[in-house]
Amino acid sequence: MISQPATRWIRFIRQYGPIPRNDNMYDEHIRKSAKRAGIRPLAFIHPVEQDVLAQFNLARKERRSVILTGTAGDGKSHLCGKIWALMGGSEEQWNSDDVYHTLDIASGDESLKVHVIRDLTALPPHDTKGRYADKAELLTRFCDSLCEPDAKVQFLIAANDGQLVETLHRLPTTDNVARVRTIVESLLVDGRRESPEAKLTLFNLSRVPCVALFDLALDAFLDHEGWKECYASSVADGFFGDRCPIRHNHELLKSPLVRGRLRSLFELCDCNELHVPIRRILLLFANAILGHPEAKDRLMQAADVSTFLQKKTTARASLFNNLFGGNLSEVRRDSLEVFDYLNRFRVGHETSNRVDNILIFGEADENLKPYFDKLLRADTMYGADDSYYAAQRSYVEGDDTDPANDHFLKLLVSQRRGLFFKIPPDWEQELALWELTVFKYAGEYLDKVLKPLRQGGRVERPFLARLVKGLNRIFVGMLVSSDRDLLLATSISFSSSKVSQILEDRIPVTPRLNERVELVLKNDKPTLHVQFSPTISTSLPLNLTRYEFLSRVAEGALPGSFSRECYEDMLAFKSRLLSCLNERRRSEGVTDSNTVAFHLLTLDPAGNPLDDVVEVTHG
Amino acid sequence: MASPETMLPLPPREDYRDNSMWVDEQLWGHRLWDSESPWLLFLEFLNVAEASKRNGQLFANGGHPLLFKPYKRLHLRNILFNNEVLTRISERYPENGSAWNAWLEWMSVNAKGVIPRDFTYLKGRFHSFQQFVSLVGILRGSAVESETNKRWSSRFVFPFGPNALYEDLNISAAGKVSREYIYFGRTGELLYLMLCRSKKKKDELASRFAAMLSGNNQWNKLLALFQPDGTEDVETRANSFLPYTGHPVFDLLTEDWLHVLSLELPGFDAMPHLVTLGAFHVMLYQLRVSSELLSKPLHFVCEVVAPKKTLVRELSAFNYQENSLLSQKAVEAYLAGIISSERWQLARSQASAFAACKAILEEQVRWPNDPEDYEGCSEPDALAAELRRAAISRHKQHVASVHRQYGRDVGLVSKRGTNRLRYAPTDALLKTLVLANVSRRMEYKEFLDLLFTRYGLVFGEREAEQVLLHEDFEKKAFQTNSHRLEQRLSSLGMLRRLSDACAYVQNPLARGQS
Repeated sequence: MISQPATRWIRFIRQYGPIPRNDNMYDEHIRKSAKRAGIRPLAFIHPVEQDVLAQFNLARKERRSVILTGTAGDGKSHLCGKIWALMGGSEEQWNSDDVYHTLDIASGDESLKVHVIRDLTALPPHDTKGRYADKAELLTRFCDSLCEPDAKVQFLIAANDGQLVETLHRLPTTDNVARVRTIVESLLVDGRRESPEAKLTLFNLSRVPCVALFDLALDAFLDHEGWKECYASSVADGFFGDRCPIRHNHELLKSPLVRGRLRSLFELCDCNELHVPIRRILLLFANAILGHPEAKDRLMQAADVSTFLQKKTTARASLFNNLFGGNLSEVRRDSLEVFDYLNRFRVGHETSNRVDNILIFGEADENLKPYFDKLLRADTMYGADDSYYAAQRSYVEGDDTDPANDHFLKLLVSQRRGLFFKIPPDWEQELALWELTVFKYAGEYLDKVLKPLRQGGRVERPFLARLVKGLNRIFVGMLVSSDRDLLLATSISFSSSKVSQILEDRIPVTPRLNERVELVLKNDKPTLHVQFSPTISTSLPLNLTRYEFLSRVAEGALPGSFSRECYEDMLAFKSRLLSCLNERRRSEGVTDSNTVAFHLLTLDPAGNPLDDVVEVTHG
Repeated sequence: MASPETMLPLPPREDYRDNSMWVDEQLWGHRLWDSESPWLLFLEFLNVAEASKRNGQLFANGGHPLLFKPYKRLHLRNILFNNEVLTRISERYPENGSAWNAWLEWMSVNAKGVIPRDFTYLKGRFHSFQQFVSLVGILRGSAVESETNKRWSSRFVFPFGPNALYEDLNISAAGKVSREYIYFGRTGELLYLMLCRSKKKKDELASRFAAMLSGNNQWNKLLALFQPDGTEDVETRANSFLPYTGHPVFDLLTEDWLHVLSLELPGFDAMPHLVTLGAFHVMLYQLRVSSELLSKPLHFVCEVVAPKKTLVRELSAFNYQENSLLSQKAVEAYLAGIISSERWQLARSQASAFAACKAILEEQVRWPNDPEDYEGCSEPDALAAELRRAAISRHKQHVASVHRQYGRDVGLVSKRGTNRLRYAPTDALLKTLVLANVSRRMEYKEFLDLLFTRYGLVFGEREAEQVLLHEDFEKKAFQTNSHRLEQRLSSLGMLRRLSDACAYVQNPLARGQS
């Protein structure tokens, strides 16, 4: 018999999952449903919580207004509630439907009015209680208060960024409104919190790295006492027994290897400027542990476990597959950005010959067998089971047109996903772990670029050289192999033409006088920085996609084949580099001579650039 | 607005004896020419601008009077484009001296339109014949629209500077040189006059173009080597006519060009955008003037190409067809205005009605120009009907096609994915529009609104709702369209999404952008 607390706990976390009515989407609902179930809600201290609360510390002298922005599910309402409580606001008032609240508090010798709008979109155009004339009037007051140093008011506004920008744009324009618009826009786009021009601190919760949220949320999720109830009510051959998929998934997620790999994916999402809000991270965990395509709403309840054990379909509850939404319908999966982002890595679909050989021939091949045994045979839950062997045999022995092949190919997707989380660190290199994703340089990006830069060190020379080579191939439009200088080439008429044979200049990678090309950390992101002179420089933020793109081009891929966007980005970068070069030339003073001289770029058979100087002088 | 106050009177008839009537000309100028590609339009404009700069009249006095003397540069053109033996000679004669001799001899017989056919000045200017040949190859490679198969006297080297500029010519087999109007159809002159009559920032425009036309770059210097020393014979060109002293499109064009130029893109990178915008605004000018005359609003429902048929595509195709008829309807309305005028009605009731009415037409539309133009009965109504027929038929020959032809050339009008023409902007046009409107970044919805207010381009639901009939409007369809535009801009590196609710269009070439 499964205990009530265990059932309730599973039901409670199921509410976080991708079910049609998930009550745990909204802060206010979570609190209610947790109360009903007698469960402590999942909670952790948000990374910016201290900084946000500090703005409302009663002892604080300078009172700045605060905007809490971020996408849905980033925890804006939750933080707002905490601030309200900190200031001594009444809980009853907060729990009402009203989104606008005010509070008079003492600040030093004076009294200060704090206006709280906990959801800007829901703010009614007119206040039934007559506290503001209309929405525009209240918000214009807000803008004025930011620009007037002596204003005795403080605002706290929570809004998603799009609505914030749009609301400000719709306000009748005054000097202060226009100023606040510009400030808010630049804070949002540049990812800063404060501007010296206004008494405003903007916390964009979508800028908090999702890997930090991942760590906090996963700890809160896994360490919750609810799981103890489950172990306590374990049923042999059923819920939380030895072969219970919920229990196994829970334990897998707890294991350092699985956790570490999943964490890397989140870190890489950050590197590609993809943000996953807390709500979706929790959704992912709930789905990972409870997902099963045959369960109601495709998420298991405690009572389903024995059924699936009897039907021998527990393998379909594989955490590895659930992490990518494999248990969900395509439509549902595509509608959830967390699965969209994780599936952009194409784990399960990307592969290498070696990995597929292990999966298909590993059982029978002497050399591959050790890998097969450890990675597939040893995994009695989600590894190779009877149905896998049967499908594999029919695939190997059958003909190409056998419809059963499709079934095996689907199993392969699932198994490759499993391998991504099972390959132990000491096999990572050998089995080329990251070739199981679309970003085969992702591991290198994390270990050899991001890590040393964050530790204040330098990126090793070969990695920078490869990027320079990639850039050169794009800039010149030929397969150059040069990686010691950045080649700034144009065609005779346009700088962005496919082939650029006129060499304008070279910027050496090794520092020379004031010139250099280097990888640095800017806003916590790897950035390729090119210095032309002490005052002239430009840079290219190097997200994961661009890093992968340049690395692949350097190793022979055609620039158009990987990402059109990246190619355009590189051409725009080239244009900026050429502008810098022109600026430097102007600052050096142009000597007007009658000599026409230019460098014509050709390649030797090894791809080394040769430049021919063509020089003509006219009377 | 094109209104009577801003409209100029008809120019002297003697200057335009060859024009069979003066209708299209009075509505849009002399002349809108459909078979001039955007690049050639721009080159023609540059020639006028360069010649005006030489006179010290760049964009001055609203272009009154516009007299200019463009270059012919026949030596350069013979070398670059009328010279197929060049490579053969360089291969056959490895020795420098004999190669020069063979080539100079060939030129002394085959060069056209130059007197004397002497190219010996080249010999001392290059290190070797080989070098000369390779430089000719490089310059030829830069030619504008080099893929088209035009005769040599209508081929143009890239406009590096004044040394690269010259007018379109016809050179007969006997070597007689005359001005050709097929590729330089005078629309470039209109473009120049439009800028002259802009109310905005003309000084800035003049200084930007003065810098561009200074030719302070090595390619322009290189071109000087191909021409003999001394000045060449130039002829005065005149009789350009733009009927309005001002129009909002003139101001828009100036603003857009200045915006692109202010980005200070390296080398000649701004030029393709100026080219596109130039032709785009000429097209816009024609349609705006038409729609003002008809008191109809003008807009362009744009489809961002979808994989399959959509409502937006349907609406866009319909909208395209409507706009295609605008200029013809404008001609009809203009003529109807004359026929319904008091003066005409008065003349019609006179005893000598036919002669009186004919006199009105001769004065106002310069038709009949020739006794053969009208051979019908002596009835004012029949005369008016024949005028209408003749004017429409003449309009349809070239002027009516400007919308389609320029629209396609600039990348606004397309058949992609279907067999009907509609508005489906290309990536290149979108890029140009971003460079012309976004200094650094702009909120996405604001960008859509700006494209609508400036040009009448409709992409998203907010704009569509303003211009479509209630029964045609479907919010979802336009939201999807706008979403596709967002993805396209994003793939061009021109859009940054901050969250699912907030996106900015960004200009990746703006200074300080990264």
